[in-house]
Formats: sequence, structure tokens, C-alpha cells
Amino acid sequence: MDQIEKLMQRPKFYGNVDGVGELGVGFTFLGLGLLLWVQIGLPEDSVWNRMDVFFVCLGLLLLVSHYGIKAIKRRITYPRTGYAEVRTEYTIWSLVPGILGIIGIVLILTLPSPHWDLAHSRWKSTIPNAGVGLVLTMCYAINFARPIRWKWVVAGLMAIGAVAIASLPADMVAALDRDSRDFPWSTTTDRQMGVLLLTMLLDWALLLISGGISFVLYLRRTQPAAETEE
Amino acid sequence: MNLKTRKIAELDRVIHEPGRLMIVALLSAVEQCDFLYLQHETEMNKGTLSSHLSRLEEAGYIEVVKTYRGKIPQTLLSLTAEGRQAFAQYRRRMKEAL
Repeated sequence: MDQIEKLMQRPKFYGNVDGVGELGVGFTFLGLGLLLWVQIGLPEDSVWNRMDVFFVCLGLLLLVSHYGIKAIKRRITYPRTGYAEVRTEYTIWSLVPGILGIIGIVLILTLPSPHWDLAHSRWKSTIPNAGVGLVLTMCYAINFARPIRWKWVVAGLMAIGAVAIASLPADMVAALDRDSRDFPWSTTTDRQMGVLLLTMLLDWALLLISGGISFVLYLRRTQPAAETEE
Repeated sequence: MNLKTRKIAELDRVIHEPGRLMIVALLSAVEQCDFLYLQHETEMNKGTLSSHLSRLEEAGYIEVVKTYRGKIPQTLLSLTAEGRQAFAQYRRRMKEAL
């Protein structure tokens, strides 16, 4: 019976058999992270800080990612290992990682700054920041790394990176966000924003690299099927 | 005949064959897939896979649609409601028997 259960799990991971799922997510969010970084570094009246430019860039990233994935699937994946449309059955548990991630980010952005003051306690400040990275690591492990052993190394790097970034000297990380404007609803310190941005950039870059490696391995392991009658 | 033996005897023979069991298990997790996907996952040759699919189609457990992807012929396969029910019942009986 275990064998049958395992077999029934296989199609769930087929969507990312070629690493294209990771490439798509990594490309979109790394692009978004870089855009945020550019925005933070530029003066408030820069064209890159206009909301319409932000949404145009976001739309472009999503379009390239969506149609890029579709094109790769149609031209490369389906002729090699076939087409499968996975049956999705959402349960309350499938929402847990997303909800935890949102709660973590909201906590970091909204909790009062004095509580996280570096002068009083270094770890009070760094633990929640590392938490966001660890939640992202958990999402990666559940969605992409579960069936593939070498991807656990990537998940490990993500987790170590999250803790390492949260432990960086305050001045170094805060410098990333030195010119940023404060959100009216946020009491986030420059350091917290810097850590958050660095963690996300690292995670999305690792996702992109992991997707790239998966794609190359997939191309090496598979051949287009002969076009004959089935 | 004890209860467990009777449960085993009641198993659906169409699904119980190992090759067809693999096919039905895979199809139960997808809305639809093509022949190539099943061939890749089950590692069966075309002839064997075709004969198993024919048997499942005869039993009314799967739906087979012949179509084209561009100029390339494509066979789309999906589990029917009857097939899904039969597989659920098979799993239930198997668990009871083990």
C-alpha cells in the first residue's frame, strides 16, 4: 500500500520535474527584490519610485515568468516526459506555510521598534528576521525539495543564510536601507528592512540557481520521444 | 474462508494487476495526462501500456481521447468517475485485508 501512496504522490512533483517552477518563482521574486533594492537606494522623486512604474515592472515580471514557463513546458518538457495536469485538492494544511510567512512579515513590519532595539538585545532583534528566512526555507523544502535529496543542501544553505544575515553587524545591514522612506503603518528599523531584503534576495537567488541546475540535469537525463503513433 | 481471505477474493481484478494498478494510481492523482507521461512514469513499453489501457477502457475505468499537439498525435487519458470509485474501493478493501 505504501508503494501505491508513493506513486500517487509522484504527479504532485511533476510540475517541477524540469526545475522550471523554481526558475519561474525565482525569476519573478528576484526581479521584484532587485526592483525594491533599486527603489530604496534612489531618491523619493525618482521615476523608479513611482507606483505606476512599480506595477508595470511587476506585471512584466509576471508575464515573462508565466509565458516563459508555458513555452518551456510546451517545447521541451511535454515532448520529453509527457504532459500531466495535476489534480489539486486544497486542504487547510496547504495554506499553513503561506499564513506563517505572512504573519512573520507582518510582525516584523508592525511591531514597535523599541521592543527590537539592538542596543538592548541583539537576539531580540535578529530572531524574527531570521524567522522570515526560515519560513521561506520551509516553503522551499515542502514544495520543491521534498522528493529530491540534493535540494536539501539548498534548503540548508537557505536556513544558514537566514541566520547568518540576521547576525550581520547592524551598521552593515542598516546601510542597505539608509535612504528609504518609512511606511506610515510601519515602525520597522532600517536594519530590519535591510535584513529582510538581503534574506529574500539570497533565497530567490538560491531558488533560481537550484532551478537552473534542475533544468540542466533534466535536459541531460531525458531525450525527446520519437514522434510515432501511440 | 475467513474474513480477510474473503476481502482479498473480492478485490477488483482489473485494478489488482500490478501494471494496471500503477496506471490507475497515477491517473487518480491527475486530471488528465498523456500516453508519454504514463510511459515515462511506469517505464512500460508502448505495447504493454496500450494493452493495459485497453483493458481499463473496456472496464469503463478510463477515458481515452485521441488528439493532436500541433502536428504530433497525442493520447489524453483520465480516470472516469466509475474508475475513481473503483480505485477508492480497491484501496479500502486492500487496507482491510492487510
